[in-house]
Formats: sequence, C-alpha cells, structure tokens
Amino acid sequence: MVATKVTAQFALDYVKTVGITNNGASGRGFANPYDIAISRDGRIFVLNRCDPSRAEAVRISVCNLEEEHLAEFSNGYGSGDGQFIWPVAMAFDGDERLHITDEYNHRVCVYDSSGEYLFMWGAHGAGDGEIDGPAGIAFDSQNNAYVADQNNGRVQKFTSEGDFIGSFGEPGSDTGRLNLPWGVTVDSDDNVYVADWRNDRIQKFTPDGVFVAAFGGSGDGQFYRPSQVAIDGDGRIYVADWGNERVQVLDSDGKFLTKLRGQATVSAWAEEFLASNPDEKTERDRSNLTPALPPHLSTPYHVSSQTEPYFWGPVAVTLDGHGRLYVLESNRHRFQVYLKR
Amino acid sequence: MNNEDIALAAHLLRRAGFGATRDELEAYVSKGYEATVEDLLHPGDPGAMPDDLIRRYHVDQSEMRILDSAGAYWIYRMITTKNPLEEKIALFWHGLFATGYSKLNQARSLLNQIDMFRRLGLGPLPPLLVELSKDPAMIVWLDNIENHNGAINENYGRELLELFSMGIGHYTEEDIKECARAFTGWTLGNAEYMSVRAQKDSIWPYGRIAWHFEYRPQDHDDGEKTFLGRTGRFNGEDIIDIVAVDEATARFISTRLFQFFGADEIDDEGRDAIDSMVGAYFDSGHEIRSVLRTLFLSEYFRSERARFARVKGPVELVAGGIKMAGSYSKPTLGIEKVAKQAFYMGQGLFQPPSVEGWHEGAEWIDSGALVERVNFVAGELANVGSPGVHRIIERLSQLNGGSLTPEELVDGCLDLAGPVPISESARKALLEYAARGGDLDLRDTRPGGEAEQRVGEILRLIASSREYQLA
Repeated sequence: MVATKVTAQFALDYVKTVGITNNGASGRGFANPYDIAISRDGRIFVLNRCDPSRAEAVRISVCNLEEEHLAEFSNGYGSGDGQFIWPVAMAFDGDERLHITDEYNHRVCVYDSSGEYLFMWGAHGAGDGEIDGPAGIAFDSQNNAYVADQNNGRVQKFTSEGDFIGSFGEPGSDTGRLNLPWGVTVDSDDNVYVADWRNDRIQKFTPDGVFVAAFGGSGDGQFYRPSQVAIDGDGRIYVADWGNERVQVLDSDGKFLTKLRGQATVSAWAEEFLASNPDEKTERDRSNLTPALPPHLSTPYHVSSQTEPYFWGPVAVTLDGHGRLYVLESNRHRFQVYLKR
Repeated sequence: MNNEDIALAAHLLRRAGFGATRDELEAYVSKGYEATVEDLLHPGDPGAMPDDLIRRYHVDQSEMRILDSAGAYWIYRMITTKNPLEEKIALFWHGLFATGYSKLNQARSLLNQIDMFRRLGLGPLPPLLVELSKDPAMIVWLDNIENHNGAINENYGRELLELFSMGIGHYTEEDIKECARAFTGWTLGNAEYMSVRAQKDSIWPYGRIAWHFEYRPQDHDDGEKTFLGRTGRFNGEDIIDIVAVDEATARFISTRLFQFFGADEIDDEGRDAIDSMVGAYFDSGHEIRSVLRTLFLSEYFRSERARFARVKGPVELVAGGIKMAGSYSKPTLGIEKVAKQAFYMGQGLFQPPSVEGWHEGAEWIDSGALVERVNFVAGELANVGSPGVHRIIERLSQLNGGSLTPEELVDGCLDLAGPVPISESARKALLEYAARGGDLDLRDTRPGGEAEQRVGEILRLIASSREYQLA
C-alpha cells in the first residue's frame, strides 16, 4: 500500500481498483457508472448511466471487493416500468430496497437487492411532492428519503414508499439556496448534506431543512462542481470534487484534511484483458502513464484524460462499515478503494 | 431598421457564422457592419453552453469514447457561442486539415485539435502550421508517428505542402523528402503504446487515453537539408517559415478561404478579391484575420453577387437550422442524432472522406442528401414548440396587431427566417398555400394551436425552398 496523503491524525491508504470498460454486452465491468452503493452483506452495486448509443448497458452491476461479478439487473432503457433513460443516483432504504433516480423520467425506480423490480414513485412538476430532474438520494434513520430536486433547486423528503413529507431550499446562490444540486447524504444525526453542484459547495442542513453550514470555494478545502458527499462516523466530510477531478476530505468543522488525485492500478479484470492482448501489454509496460503535459492541456480534466491512474469523472463517493472509501469514476469505468489508516 | 442592412448582416452571419436570429441581426445592424466584422474577428468570451453542464448530462461527451459525442459536443458550441466566427474558422480548418476518427479511435484528441483551431485559427499562419504539425491527432492521421531519423515517412511532409499550404505544383519530390526529414522526431507521448491503441477500436481496460505532443531529439534528423532552394539544418519550424512566405501559400490559403466564406465559384470579381486577400496576407505578416477582414469588407462580398453564392455545407445547414429554431439550447437527449444528421447529408464531423476533406459546393447536393437536408431543416423550423420558432411567431403577432393576410404571413415568415429572397414562382406557391387558411389571427393564440401551426407550416415550406439550401 502507498500512503497518499498524511495529515496529523488522518490518512487514506490506497487499496485497489475494481472495474473495466463494459461496452454494453452483459457481464463484468461498468459503462460510465454514476453511483455506487453497498449492501449490508458487502455486495457492491454500481449504477451504469451510459449514453443512448449504448442503451443496453444502462443497468445496475453487482460485484464484490474480491472482484467477482455477481449479477446485473434492470428493466432496460426507456420510460416503461422500471426502465431508465438518465439514471443518476441510488440508495438503499431500511428494508434494503434500492431506490434509483432518473433525471429524464423524473421518477424513482425501486428494486430489491436481488434485482427484482418492485415499483416506481415520483411525478414530474414543481409542486409539493413533484420533482424535476431528481438527482442524489439518501435515506435517514427513520427510513425517509431525501432527494435532490435539481431543476426546482430544492431537496424534498419522502417516505420510502414515495409519499411527500416536506421540502427545503429554493433556487439561488445565497446560503440555504441551491443551484442544480446533485448528491445528497445523511449523517448519523440525520443532518442532510447536499452537493450544491453549481454553487461549488457542500451545504449542511438539519433534518428539518434548517441551514447549518456551507463548505466550498476553490483551492484546498474548496470545490469545483462537487457531485457527491459522504460522511463517516466521526463526521468527516468526503467530497467527490468532480470538476477538479479529485476527492477531498474535511473534518466535521469543514477544515481541510486531505485530498486524493487517484492512483489506480490494473484491476483483476483488466489484468485478464491485458493477458489476452499481449501487444498492448508489452507497450503499456514500457510507457509512462503519468506523463508531463503541455500548458494548454493542464486543466484537471485534460490531465485526467491522459493520465490513466488519476481520477477522471470522480462522480460518487461512498463509505462502507470497515473504514473503506470507494471513489467511482464515470469516465474510467471503475472505482478506486481507499482505507482509513 | 433598414431592410438592406438586415439582409447584409444576415449574409455576413451566414458566412462568418451559422446564421442569426432576427433579434441578433438587429443587434448587429445597430452596431454597424464594420464594427460587427471586427467583433467577429476578435472573439471574446464565447458564452457557449458550459462544459460542466454538457459533461454532467451527456456522460460520453465527458469521456469522448464515441465519435458521435464529439460531433454533438461541437454542434452545441456552434449553436450557442457568441463568437460564431471562432467556430466557423475551426470548421474551415477542419475541412482543410481534415483529420478523421477512423484511423485514430481517439475523439478527445480530435476535439483538442479543434480547440487549437479556435485558439490559432484567425492568427498568423506559421504558428497555426507549427501547432498543426505538433497536433497528436494529425501526427497519427498522417503517419508522422512513423517518420523517423534515417527512415522517413513522407506522408505528412507531402500533405503539408500539397493540401495544407502551397498546393500541388510548387515544389519537387525532393522538397517533400527534405520536408519529411525536418519533421522527424515530431511524435506523441508514449507513441508506441498509443500507436497500438489507435490501430484497433477495443474496449481497453479503462477507456481512452488522450494524446499530447512529444519531441524526440534523438529521433530527429539534424542534418543539412535543401528545401525550396534554401539550405540549412532545418527543423520543422524552419520549413514552415519558408513555406509561409511563399506566394503560392498566400494564394492557396486565400483561395480556399474565399471559397469557404465568399463563393463556391470564382469569377473575375472574385479573382480580384482573392488578389486583395493575398496582399493582406503579406501586409499583415501572414495573418488570417486580416485576410478575412479584407474579404468581408470588400465590395465583392457586400454585393448581391456574393449572396446565396454558396451551397450550405451539411454542418452549416444543421447548425443553422437548430440555431434558428432555438432547439438544443440546453443539454438535450438526442443531440447525438443531430450530429449524425450532418453525416447522412455527407459531412460527418471528424469523418472526412479522405485527407483532402470534403468536396464542397454543388457536390453537397445529390438526391439522397437533398431529401435529408430538406427534411431536417423543415422539421426544425416547423416545430412551433421550439423557442426560436416561437419567437418568430411572437414577432409576427406584432404585425398589424396580430391579424395577418396570407401575403403578410408569407412575407413575414420569409423576412424573419432569413430574409430568404425566394423566386417569384416559389412565393406564388407559398401564397396559394397560405390563402387556403384565409387570414391568420395570432392574437391570444394557444401555444402549439392551429394558428401557430399555420406559421410552422409556412416556415416548413420556406425551409424546403432552394434558396434556404444556399448561404
């Protein structure tokens, strides 16, 4: 293991990379994954967002940390029951049912953890309980869902059956207001954290939606288009700093702790691919995969586009119960795993 | 506002951009023609659809693993930019320095090449040609990745002279060899690995790895070379400096610019305009901006003879149609299909038929392409739910208090969709069609209702006219 960054009392060690590009056929690998969730038994669920030209790959893949491909499911691409067009995020409820948002169909589809489709909820609109472009979703300790209602600039609260409870936030940039919010998470006290994507910040609210704090800006401890947030048992804030192609960790007061740029290695699935493509492997082994780049390609996006170990499109972060951080990359079809030291 | 001023501004924006809405044309006319030309020649903040929005909703336009995504991304830029000439000059260079996806399997690097055209496309020619020679997509496309000290590959050296600068007949086969020697060692980072990856479109473990330029001095032939009568230990930059000051280059580039921005066919007045453009090239230190300024301000360009003297290229037609309709102004499912439409009409972005680019002018039109062209723009302009079409309806409703005779309806639509100066016989047919519905009352119309649909039908027919296919 390689120590990625050490602060006084907090560090994350790189563990491994899981994934490979999946071009749409069934089986292992991911296709522009957009969210990751872990079941109580440790299975890893990955939501493949994909794009219309590879619509057959829009589905949920299931694997484990040992890199076994376990299952995949969905009702396919479209607007029928349980189908997806632009799926964004997912979360398990208290009954271990997986709720998956779709920002094109303006609804949430629910599957059980074995992949059986159960039902859908949500209606398009701007009224109470109506949603316009649902993005992030998270469940609190009472089994209620918070959904980032992105185009309405608010967060709405529903029961796990989809019944409306309440909402907070409105479009804008003042504190408490939201601009195309994306990820949502809930801490152990049921406070709600929102990746306020186009305001470049994370906002924290009480369970009733009262503004508590905002974290963000640019530089260390600051963000550019953050897409997802996760909170550990000590209140540390893990941010998918999507626009900066990195992950940042803050303490519960918002103080910067560390940042990750990514250090992916070859997954077991990728090893198998390279073993059957020796022409690529030979040249790959001779190559410098972290090259110096000319100034006009110095933005994080361009650097990531040609530096394979780095995060590229780090869209989601999640934590398991063993101190592991999972960073999902939509443009590299994989997730990197880190462990709290 | 003077109709001729509007018509001239529309002409300029069809050439220096992808057309313009009436609201935009009025703003340009208020600014004045010369000032508008200067603005176009000095792009500022493009104000186009932001990359972060595009990337959030279109995952493959973030990754750029699929060719259509690259085309879709560029079309978003074309239809939302405030710097239309910046995109149009990039499209010009893409046609001249035609680089295709098929040999690369690397769309991100192709878009990086287009970015380079945006950055340098209006400036002096030598830096543009130097960056073109360093462009990773070009290095793979024309095999400079295989051009080594002691084992040259002539492909890039040949096309640099024949297709990109001087034109055939102004150099010898020996000059080509010497040119190729000067560009040895101009390659890309991890060249051997990237060459393997470019050769087959596979899934690769983690998707594509984009490319960057690398100069390998140990692979550069540093020996003495004789090129176009000059002798020295030339490197690539020296070759470009020699090429750039040659009269043949000035005339070749000016002629190609004229045919893209001025007219498909070159008559006597056109030849005079090209002579002036050649003069501007040398007077300005080989600057493309000055060459274009000379064209846009010329009597020839402003005259009636230059109007509608070009067949719209498929990309111009597609981008112009959706820009006028106002569709796809935010990330929209289906934009990839729009990029594909231009391909069906004969001009797939990043899919030139060969290194020579596309054969333009009348060759754009064959019976299959014409059907595609008409169907696409007619569909766009007939969609009364699109904001641009709705704006046309709104402006029509301000005429005569919103009550229009068939003649006012037809002439109003012809005016606001261009102006489009169709033939008298075509106008007569339109009038006959419009008269079937009688007078049109646009007061208090229901969105998408019958009255609006009648406007949409007239716009559909205008988009189907011969004149709408011309720029």
